This record gives sequence, structure tokens and C-alpha cells, in this order.
Amino acid sequence: MTTMENKRSTYQQRYEAADDGLRFQDLTYTGNFVGLEPVTDGIKGDKMMRSRAKSGVLERVSKDDVLRDQFTIDELNDLNNYLAWNIWDVLVMRATEGVSGMIPRQEYEILAFMHEFYRWPEILRMTTDEAGGPQGVMDIGASARREIGTKVNAVHDWCIGAVGFGMGRCGLLALEVIGPDDYIEESNEILKFMQRILWGKRQDGYILNSQDRYRCRIHEPDFLATLTAQVEPLEAGSPKHGAFTQFNAAAELLSFLDHYDCRLGLGDTGPYELPDGNLLILRDLFVNEEVFHWSDVCEDAGLPHAYTLAIVIDPEKMALAEIRVNDISTTFTRPKNYIDAIVGGAVFSREKWNTPMGQVNHIAIDELDDHLERVRAATFKLYSKTARMCRRDLIWNGQYVYYVDMILPHMRLAGAYEKACRDYDLWEIDQRVANYYYDITKRGFAQETVPSKIFSGAGYLPFSDNADRRRSKYRWL
Amino acid sequence: MAEVLAEGFNVFDTAKSPSGTVKYLASPADVISLIQSGKLAEHILLVRGGTTTFLAPALSMGAIGVITMSGAPESHLGILSREFQTPCVMTAHLTGSESRYVVGNTDESHFEEIARSLDGRKVRLDCTDHEVGRVVAEN
Repeated sequence: MTTMENKRSTYQQRYEAADDGLRFQDLTYTGNFVGLEPVTDGIKGDKMMRSRAKSGVLERVSKDDVLRDQFTIDELNDLNNYLAWNIWDVLVMRATEGVSGMIPRQEYEILAFMHEFYRWPEILRMTTDEAGGPQGVMDIGASARREIGTKVNAVHDWCIGAVGFGMGRCGLLALEVIGPDDYIEESNEILKFMQRILWGKRQDGYILNSQDRYRCRIHEPDFLATLTAQVEPLEAGSPKHGAFTQFNAAAELLSFLDHYDCRLGLGDTGPYELPDGNLLILRDLFVNEEVFHWSDVCEDAGLPHAYTLAIVIDPEKMALAEIRVNDISTTFTRPKNYIDAIVGGAVFSREKWNTPMGQVNHIAIDELDDHLERVRAATFKLYSKTARMCRRDLIWNGQYVYYVDMILPHMRLAGAYEKACRDYDLWEIDQRVANYYYDITKRGFAQETVPSKIFSGAGYLPFSDNADRRRSKYRWL
Repeated sequence: MAEVLAEGFNVFDTAKSPSGTVKYLASPADVISLIQSGKLAEHILLVRGGTTTFLAPALSMGAIGVITMSGAPESHLGILSREFQTPCVMTAHLTGSESRYVVGNTDESHFEEIARSLDGRKVRLDCTDHEVGRVVAEN
């Protein structure tokens, strides 16, 4: 941080209309726009993608637009292209991480993508019905505006369309078991559900953080005030600062582990500008998801469903040049290290997923030691437990994390989860996907073919201009 | 001038410059064994992947520095090492070798060469540069 002395923050320039933002990576994106100028990451990339849209679906849309039954083919293709770029934007560098040595993530991911594309449409239709229709789905999204410790958050809501539709369809196209014009009606079902949740949550006409210069400022001001009232001042290098940041890291790590090394365990919102010029990030860390049987060690450690951290950052202290809360709920800054610029914090715990907000506990930072020890104990036990699992169990457990957890919060709030388990065999594996288990390790399908199509954008084939929106898949030839 | 053995992505710039003996961890059993030995703080950890679960208990218990052979600051291990403020050099390559990591197209010999060259060496991590992290030999 010593290098930042005498420098001023410039991050507010990123919110000026003409500003193109910083580049966080050197790579560029092509996708379905072969022959056109390659697309960058960040704010400039968002502008480029929106300028290439044929419809208005990537601009601010109205409530009536969202309530409409279906997207047009142009809208579907615009969403397909934009989500493909957005996936590249947030994941292309992460995807360089190679093998886990612990959890076969690429394998479970590709199985989950395909399972979701096949199975989610009727489950989401049922969930919409149980919620009372499209308005009910938008209300589920809006519930996040007055809650913390809720999985109705950027990453889950994004996953409905980006993963279930985008990557699922991309994987099945790569496996050559579907064609570009198969399952159009089902694609519409998934994407409409995503749009309604996200629009209801944001209520500014956009659906994604990348459309709003990587901001996810969804909480109502009066609700935020109840949280910021609990913030304690922190000074870098002090024991209190250390206790807060170490707890943040340890709980975040367990959230990753409980969710099989994926980001469904954490959710950031913000940045919220505070009256004194500092920035607030609210971070939910889901350290104990009760639907996962391996989470029993977290239960035994007495951990709540979620901890929420209010993290106050002084932008001047780090000469902040850009801050992104991206669509998978993760905060990245330039400069990269924001930890020493944390000048305030507060911690809350939500015992169960449906604990009322009035019963959420505030934990003083001086009392975090006990929680930290429990988080560490659960981490070690869960690690030891996971290390003893065979490859097949690891893959199918991971598959369930994606396939179930990505839509779990929406089903829960619609009162549809039990019905999905009972009447829709939610926790069964579709026979088609069970058979793919044996295909995905051949010819590098999971490790190379699919990642390359997903992250290059080459696999998101468009729907034909004259395709029939009622079309499912009728022929297996 | 100290010898730079390897370079890679610097996850975050920090004045922290941990030193220790490189310990290559090939399996979860290696990770558990190291933690149970009580010698975690003596080692800079060398791992192949950039995912975070593999190193979970080591990070949680206070790893002092990490070198990976793949991944980037945006990878899960990159995010967590930033949060723990554990200096981390990702996708490290040997300065004395032409071999580089390419996603989905890297021969086993690339990883074996790095593990063979660094495991057991006394090193210090230099993470002061915005972009490049360095693994420096110590006598």
C-alpha cells in the first residue's frame, strides 16, 4: 500500500458515460462475431456487445417486457451472445486453473450444465406456477432487496440463464446430441425465469451487473442503514483488522469447500457509496447448506446457514481505479489488493435460510475468535471427508451442487422445492445425463473440448432467424 | 542479485516476502500430513492447480506462501490467497526453461520439471510487482 501514497482514487470516472473502463486482461472475445473487431472485457466490452444487438433486450426493459410470455428469436440470440461474452468476461482467466487434485470440477460441471438444460424447463415452469405466475417470480427477485444471507443473489440468478441455458446448450451442441434449433420453447422458459428474477431484484431495467458498469446496488437505503449502524472502525495492522479479515477469508474458504469449489457459496453486492465517501461491499458467505449431506460437519460445528460481512473500503487509501462486483458475485479491484484499505466492518449470522431478518444476529468483531475456530474445524473435517470420497461420488455430488443449488433459493421462496423433490424427481439423474458420464472423459471432452467452446464463445450457436419458437426436440436421428 | 528461479502471475502486490523450503503437495493426503506435522509455517507450498479446495486446510491454518503451476488471480485460489493475504505466484514457469503452461495442452513433463526443480529449495517470494510474482533462491 505504500506505493499508493499521494495518489487519488479515479474509480468514479468509470461511471461517466463516455468512459470505457480499465482492461483487467489482455485477451479478447470473438464468439459469433467472426470478422468484426474483437470484443474486450469490462465496460467497453459491454458497450460493444450491446451495440451489436438486433433487439432492445440488452437495454433497460420495462415491467411489461418482462411479463411477456416469450422472447423473440432476435431477443434470444442477443441474450445468447451477451451471456456468452459475459461468461468469457468473468471466467476466462479463472478457467486457466487446471486440475483440482481434489474435486473433478470440469467433469461435474459439464454433467450439470447438460442436466440443467434438459430438466430445469419444466421445474422452472412449475416454480413459476407455484409462485403465482410471472409477477410472483419477480417478487422472489425483489425479496433480495431487504435481506442478507439470501441465495437469491447475482451468481445464482445469473446461473439460471448463463449456465442452465448458455453452457448447457453449448455442451449438448458440442456433444452433437442437439441442433441449434432444438428446445427453443425450453430455452425461452429458462431465460424468461432468469430475466424476471434479475429484473425484480435490480428494478432499474437492467438484469446484469455488467450492464451497470459492474454494480449490484440492490439493497434499499433504509435496510442498508440498519446494517451500517453496526459497522466498527478498523485500522490496518491492528488485531481487530486482522480478526475481521482472517474471519472473512476462512469463512469464504469454507463456503467454497461446502459448495465443491464453486462460487455458489458466496455473494457480494455493492459497491454502495457511503456518506463519508467510503464504499460498502456486503458479502454473504454460505458456510452450511443443509441440503448437502456432506454439510453435516458444518452442522456439527454449530455453524449458521450464512455469515454476512459488511466491508467498508476507503477508496483513497488504495487509490482505487476501478471496482467490479461481477455477475458471479465476486469483487475485483484495481489495484488488486483491497484488504489494507478496509477501514470498517461488521458481521452478521443467519441461522437458517428462512430465518426472519428480525432474528439475524450481529456478532461483535471481538467475539469472532470462537466462530473462526469453528469454521476452521469444519474446514478440516470437510476436507478429510472429501479426500476419502471416490471419483464418482465427487463428480455426482458436485453435479448436484450446480443442478440443485443454482435454482434452490427460487424454488424455496416459491414453496416449490418439496414439490420438485416429490413430483419431479429433482434429485434423480436423468438417464441421458447418466450415460454422458461415460462420454465426457473421452477425447478430452470435459477437460478441453467443452471449456474451449464455452470460453472462446465458439460453441454458442445462434437460433435460425426463422425458427419456430414453439419448437422442442421431436426427432432423434 | 539473487537468482530468480521462477516467475508467474502475482495475485496481489504486497511487501510481505515470505521465505521457506518449497514443499510440493501432490495429493490431499500430502496436505493433511503437512498440517499434522505442525511444520506448515516452514514451507512455501507448491501445487499444480489453481483451485482452492485442494489447499483448503493449509490456507485456513496459516500457509505463508503459495506457488501454483496453473491458474490466475481470478481463479478461486487466487481470490482466497488475496483474502488471506498469503503471497501467491500463479502459473509459475521456470526461468531457465522454455516450457510454458497452456490450458488443456500441457504435457505432464512441464509440471514434473517444475516440481523437480523447486521441491526442497529454500526460496523467498517477491510479490512487489503489480503483475509478476517471483520465486527467488535463498542460500
